[in-house]
Amino acid sequence: MSAVHDTHAGAAGLPPHSHKKAYIRLGIVLTVVTLIELALPFLKDYPAVWEPCKPLWAPLLVAMSVFKFGAVVGEFMHLRGDRRVYQFLFISPLAIAVIIFVLVSGLTVSAFLPFGQGVALTAYDRKAGVAEPTKSSGAEAPLPDDKFKAAFDVAKGKGFAEGKEIYGRACKACHGDNGEGKAGLGFNLTDDCYQYGGSFKDLYLTIAEGRAGNKMPAQAAVLKSEEIRQVTYYVRSLKGTNATGGQPCVGPKVAD
Amino acid sequence: MSADLAVVPAPDHAHAADHGHGDGHGDHAVVENNFMGMPNIKLAMWAFLGSECMFFGSLVGTYFFYRGKALAGPLPGDVFDLTITSISTFLLLMSSLTMALAVDAIKQRKPDTTRKFLFLTALLGATFVGFQVYEFAHFVDKGLKLSTSLFGSTFYVMTGFHGGHVTVGVIWLTIVAVLIGKGKLNTGRLPINVEVAGLYWHFVDIVWIVIFTFVYLLEFIR
Repeated sequence: MSAVHDTHAGAAGLPPHSHKKAYIRLGIVLTVVTLIELALPFLKDYPAVWEPCKPLWAPLLVAMSVFKFGAVVGEFMHLRGDRRVYQFLFISPLAIAVIIFVLVSGLTVSAFLPFGQGVALTAYDRKAGVAEPTKSSGAEAPLPDDKFKAAFDVAKGKGFAEGKEIYGRACKACHGDNGEGKAGLGFNLTDDCYQYGGSFKDLYLTIAEGRAGNKMPAQAAVLKSEEIRQVTYYVRSLKGTNATGGQPCVGPKVAD
Repeated sequence: MSADLAVVPAPDHAHAADHGHGDGHGDHAVVENNFMGMPNIKLAMWAFLGSECMFFGSLVGTYFFYRGKALAGPLPGDVFDLTITSISTFLLLMSSLTMALAVDAIKQRKPDTTRKFLFLTALLGATFVGFQVYEFAHFVDKGLKLSTSLFGSTFYVMTGFHGGHVTVGVIWLTIVAVLIGKGKLNTGRLPINVEVAGLYWHFVDIVWIVIFTFVYLLEFIR
């Protein structure tokens, strides 16, 4: 190959100098970066290293991805140093795409940031998370009635904040913003009709295990038992609030 | 093999250092340049790739918007196989290198070398598509279909469109390579044609860099 290069093809008719070596060098660098990316998930097996640096892994992966993206566009596609028009044509829509991506998926992405983990962690993030793997077989047994009642009062004192937050990510999609229900998806939670029973224990089991013959997934697969209890309290607090636009009553009425 | 090419000036994209003196010298003889002194075909490809950024940006954004909102399994953690996907990802990344070498070779007026690298690139791309077909079949076996859940819909639409782009690229590169072999391409236009095909191919690779990191890897480090 042309060993002599680096005099920019000034003389018309001569081939431009070869970038072959630079390309191969970059190929090696990209390979190394990719190997590091692939090795990261296996670090999990070494909690002593994995846990303390946990907030760093996601930003690190994103940074490596951005590096690879930039390297391919800048060098392989030769956009770096190419004409401004090409750069403008590519980079401005790319910027729009990034903005759209951040706006559309911003909340979810924020779960990957080192801070503010709690806000956007979705149901199955918990399942996949290493913090506290739930037993796939199901939740803890329901509490005795008096303990449920006492815990309900405690949650009430806090305005059901925790249950409400869990409801927002695990239940809202089918049961509506205020528990009014959605046709074909989730029952109205704000009337006093309960297809599967209205006691704390019934509600807890319905949420944790699901009930045969309907669409509701067993939340024990994705929520911790304490989370299920908290959302039980919140759902119980919705009883009789009769949200506007509520779905029709299904199941026997349950007096308090 | 390159003797007949030696007298034809190869179109070259402007290097930073070239900006001072003249616009794309060497292009004029063989490639129609527009009033800005650049080949329209390359200008059009960059504009197209810009629009593709928004296209794939929306698909990946949509995937993330609905991430974790699937009501029915299987979920990503149930179906993703990091080993398989890593191999195919690596092959696609390497195909970007072989593509860059193909473009480099044609600028050195070595069509034979170019043809070999183009075939190699297409082969790597085809292998990637093969892996994706296998992956999709495997996912469907595990019960994940397009209509199963938000995960199924957003995942298949996003990766399916990417796989479609790779397939188009494989066909494109194969055709160019075959035509080079038959000597049916205008030698003067060849460098710009290979370069533009290369731009498309590299773009397909960078889309996968994003998808692989955001969709697959982030799933595994949680």
